[in-house]
Amino acid sequence: MALNVLEEQALVEINLSRAKPFRLTDYLGLLRVSSVVLFVVAWEIFGRRVNPLFLSYPTAIANACVQLLISGEFQRQALGSLQVYAVGLTAALVLGIPLGLLMGRYRLAEYLLDPYVYALDATPRVALIPVLLLWFGLGAPAKIAVVFLSGIFPVLMNTFSGVRTVSSSLVDVGRAYGAGEGKIFTKIIMPAALPFIMAGVRLAVGRALIGIITAEMFTAVTGMGALLIRYSSAFATDKFFVPVIFLALLGVVLSAAVEALQRRLAPWKETERAL
Amino acid sequence: MAASRDEQIINELRLRREQHWSLYDHPNLIRAASVMIFLAAWEFYGRRTDPILLTYPTAVVWAAAQLIRSGELFRQLMVSLASLTVGFGVSLLLGVGLGLAMGRSRLAEAVLDPHINAFYSTPQVALTPLLMMWFGLGFGVKVVIIFLFTFFPILINTASGVKNVSASMVEVGRAYMASEPQILFKVVFPAALPFIMAGVRLAVGRGLVGMIVAELFTAITGLGAMLTLYGNLFETAKMFVVIIVLGLLGVGLIQATQALERRMARWKETERAVS
Repeated sequence: MALNVLEEQALVEINLSRAKPFRLTDYLGLLRVSSVVLFVVAWEIFGRRVNPLFLSYPTAIANACVQLLISGEFQRQALGSLQVYAVGLTAALVLGIPLGLLMGRYRLAEYLLDPYVYALDATPRVALIPVLLLWFGLGAPAKIAVVFLSGIFPVLMNTFSGVRTVSSSLVDVGRAYGAGEGKIFTKIIMPAALPFIMAGVRLAVGRALIGIITAEMFTAVTGMGALLIRYSSAFATDKFFVPVIFLALLGVVLSAAVEALQRRLAPWKETERAL
Repeated sequence: MAASRDEQIINELRLRREQHWSLYDHPNLIRAASVMIFLAAWEFYGRRTDPILLTYPTAVVWAAAQLIRSGELFRQLMVSLASLTVGFGVSLLLGVGLGLAMGRSRLAEAVLDPHINAFYSTPQVALTPLLMMWFGLGFGVKVVIIFLFTFFPILINTASGVKNVSASMVEVGRAYMASEPQILFKVVFPAALPFIMAGVRLAVGRGLVGMIVAELFTAITGLGAMLTLYGNLFETAKMFVVIIVLGLLGVGLIQATQALERRMARWKETERAVS
């Protein structure tokens, strides 16, 4: 009987401790959502009262988005930007990876090239945009050059240090089994350096995006950057936010895609440390 | 008998020491030769091209002397550095402060995290036209742009550094009756410092890019404005002077941060940046 009372008491106590007092930290997901909702609502209310030349509000932006999509203007400019971006980034990969491999494997190549690589890597690439425009004009070639220069150095530097960290015992074993230089390159060094290369690619994707936006804003003729300049000079703030949101989504999608690729291509990676 | 064996060994060692002279033991020789050949080719080729498009090394040196003597370079450099210092200072204060709050309190994290992620994934360059609309073309807009470029790396690194502080250290502090501010400043902050410094290093590079972008577009004062000005005047040699100064500035700032990092965070184990 006494035992039962004790048991009951214990049960009650346990129940009490289970029915904890309300704590905000138990509802973090809810808090996140409400934080965003609150922000959007506040923006809507506040934005409607401010002069529309300076600040827009969410529903106006959604409206502008639909308008731009229907007129087809947005898609055309986005496609132009993406084409330039793809060409420039491909060129950066096609040149950056082999150069990094060469510099990592052969000391002569390293010593010949590293003064330029370090110098150009330290120079903020945006500073080169005016010169590149002078050389290549206002069209696609200048933008491709900007994307290329923004993207090549992260890839090159990461490939270089990836090749450098390939353990020499792996290469020695390859050599002991009679592998030629070509085999060592393709079967040992490339796979071992791949995680580093992919980390470089991930960096390059982001930098190249910044490069193309800046270049297009500076030339202000075609592309996403030009849209940004056009809408802001026309004080069409609602339309201005459409490319901004698009670029943010593009950045997220691209880096997620590279990460997925990285997981597929280099699942054996141990360190993916970017330089 | 024994002596002759010794001699033999010494001879063998000497033989090994007296290797053939190899170019690879003098990498700076190769580097110097590479740079010399490049400069000579540039000088030779550059003199034969239209000076509007391409300049040559001696012309760049001349232009540098001219810009230094007139004091223009120094003046604009100071203007640029002033906005960089203010913008960076503000983002350091706010970034570290908010980062500590976000790392310590799950509540603050849940409220702020969605907004910060959204902002961070937006390429900040895309926001510059809007910021110019809001803040004009003066000193203020540069500070805001530099702030936006540098704030997020510091904030995100600080928050993840704080979250990485081992719980046992905090518990020991608590067991010795340390108050919450004491725990924050004597335990959490020092432990998170290596992360914070890694964020600062990232932010310095981005701040420089932000500074140049802001000055390119406002085009009134600063080194970026000089780039735009001389680009429009087709004075390529002077543009190269500015680009070289910006490159040196980039190298100097990064080296300084690294030195500071080594001094301030000597106990670091991981300095991996969360970029």
